Amino acid sequence: MITGHYKTAYAADESIWNNWAKKSGLVIALIGLFAFPLFANNYLLLIAGQILIYMIAVTGVNVLVGYTGLMSLGHGAFFAVGAYTAVIAHNAVENLFPLITLALSAGVAALFGLLFGLPSLRVKGLYLAVATLSANFIILFLIRQDWAAPWTGGRQGIETPNAVIFGWELASNTAKYYLIAPVFVVFVLFAQNLFRTRFGRALIAIRDNDHSAEILGISLYAYKLKSFAISAAYCGAAGALWSYFFPAILPEDFSLNMSITLVVCLIAGGMGRTLGPLFGTLLILLIPEILKIISGVFTGGDGNALIHFSSIRDIVFGLLIILFLIFEPMGLVSIWDRFWRFVARWPFSK
Amino acid sequence: MGQVMQYLLNGTMNGALYALIAVGIVSIFKSTKVVSFAHGHVIMFGAYFYFTFAVILPGAEFMPDWVAKWEPEWLLAYKEGAMMFSPKAAIAAWVSNLPRIVLGLVGSIICNALLAVVIERLFMRPLLGQSSLSMILCTVGLIWVLEGSASLIWSADIDQVPALGPNFPIRFQLFGDQVFLFSASVVNFVIALLLFAALMLVLRFTRSGVAIRATAEDQSTAYAMGINVPAVFTSAWVVAATTGAVAGAILASRNGLSPTLGLFGLSVLAVVLMGGLDSFAGVFIAAMIIGIMEAFTQWKFGGEYAEIVPYVLVLVVILWRPNGLLGQAEIERI
Amino acid sequence: MLTVQNASLSFGGIRALVDLSFTAKQGEITSVIGPNGAGKTSLFNVISGFYQPQQGAVLFEGKDITHIRPDQRAKLGISRTFQNIALFRGMTVLDNIKLGGHNKLSSGLFASGWFYGAAQREEVAFRAEIERDVIDFLELDHIRKAPVAALPYGLQKRVELARALAMKPKLLMLDEPVAGMNREETEDIARFILDIQEQWGTTILLVEHDMGMVMDISDQVVVLNFGRQIAAGTPHEVQQNPAVIEAYLGSNEAGAA
Repeated sequence: MITGHYKTAYAADESIWNNWAKKSGLVIALIGLFAFPLFANNYLLLIAGQILIYMIAVTGVNVLVGYTGLMSLGHGAFFAVGAYTAVIAHNAVENLFPLITLALSAGVAALFGLLFGLPSLRVKGLYLAVATLSANFIILFLIRQDWAAPWTGGRQGIETPNAVIFGWELASNTAKYYLIAPVFVVFVLFAQNLFRTRFGRALIAIRDNDHSAEILGISLYAYKLKSFAISAAYCGAAGALWSYFFPAILPEDFSLNMSITLVVCLIAGGMGRTLGPLFGTLLILLIPEILKIISGVFTGGDGNALIHFSSIRDIVFGLLIILFLIFEPMGLVSIWDRFWRFVARWPFSK
Repeated sequence: MGQVMQYLLNGTMNGALYALIAVGIVSIFKSTKVVSFAHGHVIMFGAYFYFTFAVILPGAEFMPDWVAKWEPEWLLAYKEGAMMFSPKAAIAAWVSNLPRIVLGLVGSIICNALLAVVIERLFMRPLLGQSSLSMILCTVGLIWVLEGSASLIWSADIDQVPALGPNFPIRFQLFGDQVFLFSASVVNFVIALLLFAALMLVLRFTRSGVAIRATAEDQSTAYAMGINVPAVFTSAWVVAATTGAVAGAILASRNGLSPTLGLFGLSVLAVVLMGGLDSFAGVFIAAMIIGIMEAFTQWKFGGEYAEIVPYVLVLVVILWRPNGLLGQAEIERI
Repeated sequence: MLTVQNASLSFGGIRALVDLSFTAKQGEITSVIGPNGAGKTSLFNVISGFYQPQQGAVLFEGKDITHIRPDQRAKLGISRTFQNIALFRGMTVLDNIKLGGHNKLSSGLFASGWFYGAAQREEVAFRAEIERDVIDFLELDHIRKAPVAALPYGLQKRVELARALAMKPKLLMLDEPVAGMNREETEDIARFILDIQEQWGTTILLVEHDMGMVMDISDQVVVLNFGRQIAAGTPHEVQQNPAVIEAYLGSNEAGAA
């Protein structure tokens, strides 16, 4: 049984990992993250890399939707902006240092976030959801255009570069994984820190009660726009990693479907919590894999099952969203919380 | 110049269809405060039901022949000697299609109503009392469920579906411009307008209309005053789904059938927000504006630009009027 | 300190404030009273910037603040509580109070995201400050980690007061701080208010229906009815004023309303 923690300084009380259980959990998770490629085959690494990239993007969506309470159905577009910025930057400067690409993609996406965050100053909720959805359509429309094709490849898509660090080309999935993992850790920690300080508190206050937040001295203009910019920057960085990770990108990759998937990962995981995006993304992106395994077991690799595979996956996705909303609106994190509360109180828990 | 009238008419007809679809979203919103992102997909189901009852079922072995092709003596006599593409031939073809058109419409309306009841009972009812955001997200989940189910159920090859009205070309002069229309579009236009008007009248003048409006004002008070609010919710979804079934039949006969038909609903969402969620008049105006703007964009810039017209327009309008053209602003209190 | 000059505010046809003027003096407790719907909360909303008056001006420390945003007014040192509790329900008591001090802190985005170093020092120092000055003072130490949504009404009101105090305001506006409280809780709050005035020299503007408390602690009382000021003065003067008596008890001709 873990009871209270005795602390003698405010600094200790303000720390995130304030007991041995959390500290060891963090260490184990980090070791697991970085040791994963030692045990995984190429296919698993492909999935893992994709999941980590999505986790960065969903963490970004969480900043806006989960913490600031502003709905967005357009973050796939910011993802696209990041991905295409990375490609364009690499076409302009060969072998650009990946961190510069990341910063550039995040920066350009943040600018787009500011622009399409402007409606948030006037409208909330549903209107904002539709405004961001419109942004998604418009950005993808621009990318697809023939006059943009010299840079974006238009509707045919475009080949993407590999990251090169000091002459070493990250071509294998393992190498790419080791580029993505540290970026992932930094971005998640950044978000975690953000929401225990002044800046993040202001965003949460806007979510909980925007009028009283404003009267207590929080500039709604500044913070809503900053929130948009930050979450777009996360998606932009994720986009840059995406273009390093995959050999080519198409405008359709970043359609409304992606925007909705990002939000669905967030709902499934739990909004407004650091771990939410991680759990949610893990679950949602693993569903197709799990379905593949199940259909393989039932059909013995029957081809007919694969024709319907995408339909079944869609139905499962949709039902999962609805079931989460009905039965676990706080997402997987709340199951996780309940579990640890049970453990902490054992043997007196029931 | 020259073609302005033509595109104006095309736009107006599209606008009427937008209005017919939008009316479903508005009536759900008015009574339940939920904006259905899945309305386009409900319409898609309507279209597939129409296809099932108007094409698949009449072609089935056990159905009598006259359902698929009704050719009584007098019709054959009437058709005698009619020119190809002439109004006479088109009307004759329409009449011989009439049994399956009626079967299709009735079937799709009934099935869509059932679908609406299922959606409302199974998915929306358990969320009652939760934030409107989670209800909206639930309809987003529905998009995937409906789209997946549609492509699972109707994986067969898709045939053409019969138009609701006789289809022959009409040419006439309007303000000195030569105008060209298909009669089927005119029929669709009239049906859309009639349904829209009928719904508004029902809301304004009947007992159930008053119940819906009372629920829209304040759900708990309406409940306390003896209005069966859950029944109002169900009926709102049914109304939306049945008008959607007609809209689906029209869309299917005009644009063909595919599971992506549902995406149309998202651009209609833009129409609804542009007009103002709670205002039928505003939505009607917005539908017409967007329909006409789309037609002109198509004319001047091409079809691809027309696709994003609703989204650009809605962004502009809600930046200028956050509650849409005629939507009511909420007085904010603290 | 705070002057409202000829402020008028109307919503459609309803006139919430009509040509209202008064001054709250530095370091004093000024109470605004009046029957329900007299425009007291509207007045607060005009001062904190939530509503724009159609006419008139609001001056704070001699500066015209009529046209600046609510958050900028907060930066000048105006803080308030709300009639219907407006706490941030997703946060703990501690975070709510910390938020009140938003403008006293200065960490930017990147310092916050990195945390270690400047942001951490600032957060911890601020934590120590509010623990000493606000949490101990308002006796909230036993619930500091509790989520506010779970607290009883009286405590929520007190957390709101703590949140308003965290920014060390020059002007503190309290909108019905003791509404719905029993005798002891009311006395507690009255004591807190007097302590704030005495220890920090804060100017206090108070809207309250509890006449006992208003008359006990106010230096000046302003009486509103239908958006107009019908009397102003010391508690004693106001109690004797015939217009006030009429507004509260009704005149003989009008009968009971």
